[in-house]
Amino acid sequence: MKLFTAETEVKTQKKVVLDDMILTKDLPTCAGSKMLDGYMSLFDAQVVTKLSEAQIGICGKANVGEFAIDLLGETSYYGACTNDGKLVSASAEIVKTGKADAAIVLDVNGAPRRAAAQSDLVYIKPTYGTVSRYGTIPAACSGETVGVISTTANQCKEILGIIAGHDDKDGTSHADTVCQKIKTSSEKITKIALISAFNVDSDTAAKIDNFKTVIEKSGVSCHTVEGEKLLCARVAWNILMSAELCNNVSRYDGIKYGHRASEYTTIGELYTNSRTEAFGDLLKTAILYGSDTLSTENYMKVYDKALRIRRVVAEYFDELFKEYDAVLLPGCSKSFYTEKDIETNKYISFEENACTAPASITGLPAVVAGGVQIVGKAFSDAGLLDLAEIYEKGGK
Amino acid sequence: MEKETLIKLEKLNQLRLDDTQKISVIDFFAKRDSEMEIINSIDTKNTERMVHVMPILTVVRDDVEKKLFTRDQLQKGAPETMDGYWQVPRLVE
Repeated sequence: MKLFTAETEVKTQKKVVLDDMILTKDLPTCAGSKMLDGYMSLFDAQVVTKLSEAQIGICGKANVGEFAIDLLGETSYYGACTNDGKLVSASAEIVKTGKADAAIVLDVNGAPRRAAAQSDLVYIKPTYGTVSRYGTIPAACSGETVGVISTTANQCKEILGIIAGHDDKDGTSHADTVCQKIKTSSEKITKIALISAFNVDSDTAAKIDNFKTVIEKSGVSCHTVEGEKLLCARVAWNILMSAELCNNVSRYDGIKYGHRASEYTTIGELYTNSRTEAFGDLLKTAILYGSDTLSTENYMKVYDKALRIRRVVAEYFDELFKEYDAVLLPGCSKSFYTEKDIETNKYISFEENACTAPASITGLPAVVAGGVQIVGKAFSDAGLLDLAEIYEKGGK
Repeated sequence: MEKETLIKLEKLNQLRLDDTQKISVIDFFAKRDSEMEIINSIDTKNTERMVHVMPILTVVRDDVEKKLFTRDQLQKGAPETMDGYWQVPRLVE
């Protein structure tokens, strides 16, 4: 089990681990792929610069699934991480075992949310555009965000406070005045919609019940809403994620950097052999699917449809937010996954992302605490973390 | 999905699948096709496409030339180089 793909000595009081989708100039960044095995970036990601300026040490890079699109890192070129027969995410395991105070991760397909929900950690996927993605390896740019996993809501808040802010180098970064909004709570969460449309196992259902019971002690009311419209987010997100991924990984051809096949005679063979040797099965499938959705034949009926469904989901959230302050969803459908789950269905991450897709496709903030996921209005990040803190304190 | 379409996609994306992978990818496509019913059941005729999740203005930076990296730095991660150039197989026979 390889938790770290690179590790360093840290002398600072506080230390964080970065998942291997975040570029660092002093440590290799491999995106869990043979294609980038040993790749050294020429520059640091903006979040790395911000952490260094705040005297936060970086203790290493955490193993991640190939281009972060899988369930919990099981497609990594460096192997899956397991604990007691259960699949675990390297970033979450590093934080849980106290090797780092927090993990900075790139949330592409919800893996950090599943990891935090199953490891009983706290996680924040901030509002899209409030944390710079400059220097993160692009996978599905229209929905991916840099997030923070830690043991407490307060710790997440502290790290988020450091890394959030405008960045000129990121074309999707909000103005600084807008980014600052996520650091302070403007309104308290008092009324929550509990979505019942997702099928979950009994342990996950118990976590949802427990969370509800605890926060209700503080005066927050929870109301069950079917929320069936949120189920279509997964289908649309799979289309958009694959299409964007297909474009983003087209740069890896074995010429300027990355893996180059040893056997080829023509330039075409160099490209094909390098990509065929270096990419794993899940990534290859996603590339082919993404490419197909963008074809002349499918563009309107598949890709364009997914973009319209994105608005349908966003408008549904708007409707919910007229009546409720936040929406409670499961973080994932099961309390743990095993390697057998992957053997049975190697495309499981395209199905088990049902609970995470609604926030991914809309860019809304999501906090995981107590094994559940709470999605809030744009820029309500601090309020969501306050709620997580209330849960930590047993509803007080 | 037709096998021919898959071959076309492999070529387009510079990938090569073996027979087992081909079967598995065809299964994946079939599953995704069947899921299209879920989103096709929602009428989106009057719904606009949502490309960006937040209203984001295009960032316009000053048109200033900056030399960020040297050729040596850029070629540090290159698989093969020769005399300061990236080395590739002969393109013209």
